[in-house]
Amino acid sequence: MLFHEVYGSYFRVLEQILTHAVKGDLTGSLLTRLVQEKAFAESGLSIPGHLVSGSWPLVDANYGTPLRHVPTQPLTTLQKRWLKALLLDPRMALFAPNTEGLEDVESLFSPDSFVYFDRYADGDPYDDPTYIACFHLVLQALREKRKLRVRFRGHTGIRHSIVCVPVRLEYSPKDDKFRLLTAGDNRRHVINLARVRSCEVLDAYAPEEVKAAKPKKQELTVRLVDERNALERVMLHFSHLEKETVRLDEGTYQMTLHYDKEDETELLIRILSFGPVLQVTAPDSFISLIRERLARQKIVQIG
Amino acid sequence: MAYSELIKSFSRIRDYMRQFYVYGFKSREEYGEKSARSYDNERRRIESWLGDLMSFHRTRDGKNVFLSVDSRRIPSNPLYKAFHAKSFTDKDVTLHFYILDILASGEALTAGQITDGIEEYLRNFEMPFPMDESTVRKKLKEYEALGLLTAQKQGKTVTYCRSAHTVDCESWRDALAFFSETAPLGVIGSYFQERSDFFRFKHHYILHALDSEILLQLLDAISQRRVVDLLIRSSRGKDDFNRTICPLKIYRSTQTGRQYILGYSYIGKHMVFYRLDSIKTVTMGSEEKQYDKYMGFWEKFDQNLWGVSTGAEYTMDHIEMTVRFGAGEEFILQRLEREKRHGTLELLDEHTCRFAADVYDASEMLPWLRTFIGRIVELQCTNGYVTKTFYEDLARMYKMYGGEDHAVS
Repeated sequence: MLFHEVYGSYFRVLEQILTHAVKGDLTGSLLTRLVQEKAFAESGLSIPGHLVSGSWPLVDANYGTPLRHVPTQPLTTLQKRWLKALLLDPRMALFAPNTEGLEDVESLFSPDSFVYFDRYADGDPYDDPTYIACFHLVLQALREKRKLRVRFRGHTGIRHSIVCVPVRLEYSPKDDKFRLLTAGDNRRHVINLARVRSCEVLDAYAPEEVKAAKPKKQELTVRLVDERNALERVMLHFSHLEKETVRLDEGTYQMTLHYDKEDETELLIRILSFGPVLQVTAPDSFISLIRERLARQKIVQIG
Repeated sequence: MAYSELIKSFSRIRDYMRQFYVYGFKSREEYGEKSARSYDNERRRIESWLGDLMSFHRTRDGKNVFLSVDSRRIPSNPLYKAFHAKSFTDKDVTLHFYILDILASGEALTAGQITDGIEEYLRNFEMPFPMDESTVRKKLKEYEALGLLTAQKQGKTVTYCRSAHTVDCESWRDALAFFSETAPLGVIGSYFQERSDFFRFKHHYILHALDSEILLQLLDAISQRRVVDLLIRSSRGKDDFNRTICPLKIYRSTQTGRQYILGYSYIGKHMVFYRLDSIKTVTMGSEEKQYDKYMGFWEKFDQNLWGVSTGAEYTMDHIEMTVRFGAGEEFILQRLEREKRHGTLELLDEHTCRFAADVYDASEMLPWLRTFIGRIVELQCTNGYVTKTFYEDLARMYKMYGGEDHAVS
């Protein structure tokens, strides 16, 4: 069963509260803080209320508890079966967790049951020993907060070697690729992990001294005409971006999207893919990009 | 009944969350047949779970609530939070912590012994808390089914102990952070506390989370090779309808986040797709003896599927697109190679290539074809609708961006 209270936020928060109660250091203010930090916005009303009233006889008036052990919860069969299913994923080679305890567990699903029909075909080489080794080193540097020397080939084939602070690994399911996001020298590097030839973990850095540059945000406004189910298609297609939609009249909408400047070309062809049901109304610079494509199309078509 | 931020059933909240997230321009009155109080309660719950991600704007129609997030900036899917909000009774929560504590030393105990232990714990509290052995027994069986406890039978005596927790979850921290967002049923990953913060996700669609219960049931049916009866929400009318299929594969789109079940339809005697977000319930049926035969049908069928449309007639369209690219634009060839899914790519000269494919429904390719606007020398298709739509749409776009004659120069 997927939807069950044993996985719920309330049980996790209570686990923490009771951990302190067993250790004997629970106080009223600590209880309130734990609920505020770990639970939902309105749990602050219900959880302490139930504990104080005695309707959940878990903590007494002196913040003691009849429990004798720090509360822990064994993994459910569902959790174990999901972990077992992950072991069949080719990307698991990048992580190599301890698989002990899952030997006799049945996998929850098989990767063969899924078809990713619109995933690009040139995904990262998850079985390449060099790629796996680099991935492990990046994770080590992230865990230990250490700098990295990365040697890679740029998209033009030129070799680079940089010393950087690894910030995150970014994965795109559409591209099936990992990118390493880095900081250093007031610059933000995005490196396709498949282009990395070698990695070297260097000295530790002081996290407070690292400022990761954020990508430039841009705003785009489009007018949407709800033909051929365009409303739903557009809303879903751009649902991963921050957006706001307003109905202008029956069948016409205005959508404002916020996107990263570095993804402008990608966004341009995604807008084009919807044809005339989407019309860019601002900014002018983006409209010019579309006009340019259309002008080129006219020339190519005429030959 | 008093308002609670927890919920008993997931189905109603599933619809509201979808509406807030996907559309976000509907006013309270547009949430149809449901009552105003119901709307207020669901909105309040979602606000309680998702806090800062909820926004609203005022229009002449009233206040419109919406959920907006750039999923590239967050480490985990916020919609999973709904799955962390299952309601429970006072007895459920009390028994949970008492039973797991009583069994924490590793002893195997009978239901009676566990009930005695519970009564001893309850003596610490003045307020009466009625608890009988049959309630305890029921909870023990439930936890055995979940896998939290293991039962052992010796003669007529059944004893319970905690299931062995031998998985080293700490060693899974990075894998859990990654697969919670990328693997099917990632919501289960959100049930683990051990997750690192080293990953972010681009092109990350999160809405599928709401269909996790349906997906789990379909995967169960696939692994058991069982027929399923689906109750499906009609996209056009208001009436739900039932379909019985042999489920074969789950099709997932990385470009919209949509998920589909592909199955063999017993009524139509052909392959059918249904979107998971349109499926309300799944009822497991009997085992399908001819499962391998239908999988054979699928293997052949998949070779000419562009996406998830079979076309009305299940006939094949032949399509050819000639594309021109300039010097230094060889990346266009790479794009075609990695995005084409099926078909062939032929280099006609130094700067021109032709993509050709046979697919069930070429009209499904139109969005992808349009991404090459600016480079398409010629488009031909045996399905006249495709070329007609493509060139008519293009003409509309020329007009839209400034007029037929001068706009796009």
